[in-house]
Amino acid sequence: MSAVLARPAPSTRGATLRTLAAAEARRYARSPVFLAGVLLLLWATATSLGDLDDAGGDLAVVPAACLGLAGVLVGHSLTRSTSRPGDAVRAAPADGALRTAALALACLVPGAVALAWAVWVALALAAADLPVAIGWGRQAGMLATGVVAAVGGPLVGVLVGRWTRFPGAGLVAAVVLTGWTLACTAGLMMTATRWGTLVHLNAPFATWTSADGPDAPPWLAGGSPWWYVAYQVALCGLAATAAMVHEATGARRTRLWRVLAVLAVVAVGCLALACAADPTRVFL
Amino acid sequence: MTVVPTVALTGVTKRFRGTAALDDVHLTLGPGITGLLGPNGAGKTTLLRITATVLTPGAGEVVLFGTRPAGPEQLAAVRRRLGYLPQEMGHPRGFTGFGFVDYMAVLKEWTDRAARHAEVRRVLELVDLDGVAARRVSALSGGQRRRLGLAQALLGDPDLLLLDEPTTGVDPGQRVTLRQVLSRAGERSTVLLSTHQTEDVAALCDRVVVLDGGRVRFDGAVADLVATAAGRVWLADAPDPAARASWRTGTGRHRVVGQAAPAGAEPAEPTLEDAYLLLLGERARTTGVAA
Ligand SMILES: Nc1ncnc2c1ncn2[C@@H]1O[C@H](COP(=O)(O)OP(=O)(O)OP(=O)(O)O)[C@@H](O)[C@H]1O
Ligand SMILES: [Mg+2]
Repeated sequence: MSAVLARPAPSTRGATLRTLAAAEARRYARSPVFLAGVLLLLWATATSLGDLDDAGGDLAVVPAACLGLAGVLVGHSLTRSTSRPGDAVRAAPADGALRTAALALACLVPGAVALAWAVWVALALAAADLPVAIGWGRQAGMLATGVVAAVGGPLVGVLVGRWTRFPGAGLVAAVVLTGWTLACTAGLMMTATRWGTLVHLNAPFATWTSADGPDAPPWLAGGSPWWYVAYQVALCGLAATAAMVHEATGARRTRLWRVLAVLAVVAVGCLALACAADPTRVFL
Repeated sequence: MTVVPTVALTGVTKRFRGTAALDDVHLTLGPGITGLLGPNGAGKTTLLRITATVLTPGAGEVVLFGTRPAGPEQLAAVRRRLGYLPQEMGHPRGFTGFGFVDYMAVLKEWTDRAARHAEVRRVLELVDLDGVAARRVSALSGGQRRRLGLAQALLGDPDLLLLDEPTTGVDPGQRVTLRQVLSRAGERSTVLLSTHQTEDVAALCDRVVVLDGGRVRFDGAVADLVATAAGRVWLADAPDPAARASWRTGTGRHRVVGQAAPAGAEPAEPTLEDAYLLLLGERARTTGVAA
């Protein structure tokens, strides 16, 4: 039997968080659901790049589904699996808020993949020499919604994993997110007003192009993609903070509640700004 | 200079929906191994959970290493010095044995990778799991998982080791290995060992605490508890229905534990189990103590 090693000097919370986040990121990257999602993303994107048009930014739905929606299940299962040893984990110096923060940071793994995907599609759009009636800024904003959704889905999984104990909760959350997103497409069927934009854009993920009939020309919905991205980022912050509140205690918990309140105000503000932009549709 | 006890519980009470799991428990622990015995539902796990800072008592005071852990910083400081094996440990999906203990080591703030891996290998070797550490936890046997749980508790050689039935499901050979590990830990650390195996307590502990109905029924040296059974254990040719307990042994004779000697019986050397049966009387017999 070997001699006992020197016990670690008490690490700063930052050092523990970094080490733990790296461990969680490795677990995320090895998750079969995530890996299957990446393969599906590559296949779906490769087959779509052949016939790109001005609505190319709406390809963001692919990472939103393959990484974001699938990520709800991954985030949930990673969170539940490390809760299983229960009291042994709770008796360790790294407390619940820190463990949740590490899991939230691991959700940047699908985000990084989605970012690489966005660069790939942007380069393909640039190379396709399209008329780009809607401008590069808007196209980039639309692509960015897919990147944020790829982080947001897993964060919702972590949130649900922290607050519920029932094993199918991740699946239920994925269904709820899908339902919310689909319900908001009703905004695209309404007249082009700011209220219509609000119905369209309060979703956790939104597509931007539609048409008035099978043979009608496609159009791009009104509203600001970049303020919408800011709204999505605020929703991600809300999910991560709400997950951390669960096991935080004392002053830390109070602080997190304050952060939640601030983020809620920021989310509403960003959504309002996204909807305040010109609601007129742009025909492509 | 006064020596600060590792654990000092004063008037600790815990109720679950009106039932007292612990009722006014006073306990002071210092270095050495203390056995915790008691029938099912006596409150052993509740006592260990409170001492491990994962459960807060309803009333009373818990002082660990001389401090009352209140805020997150104090809790972390105390947790850095304790190792805890819970009675029930769900097993994380998707981890290998090594991966799980490594993950626990990260939670215990071993941030340096090389040092952490060396420590994980050390504890796995201690519990004799180094050969199967690459296997998935789900593929390990019940006894191997129990030893894996013990391995994570031993990380960093903690000053306070709280073990809730560590030898359940562990084969006799491995139990002896674990006794060696625990006896070594008890030389410098405070070890509280909850168990139904009286022979583990007899083999390892200098002190024993018997809980019953959430109250401390005995707290003292193992030898003192055994001594309470002197002159109350016999070997007889027939069972004695009037005795506290009597059963047929492998030799064909009946071991009788009670107040009066049956006719023709000869005195026998009392064991800790006999003393435990006599102390708890009917309660020990109805809830049973594993031999
Ligand atoms: N989380 C809980 N909720 C409700 N009751 C509980 C809980 N934990 C323990 N109890 C009750 O408290 C009492 C003491 O339980 P505890 O688990 O501490 O006993 P124990 O001595 O460890 O028993 P065993 O030998 O079976 O492990 C029991 O009556 C039990 O039903
Ligand atoms: Mg118990």
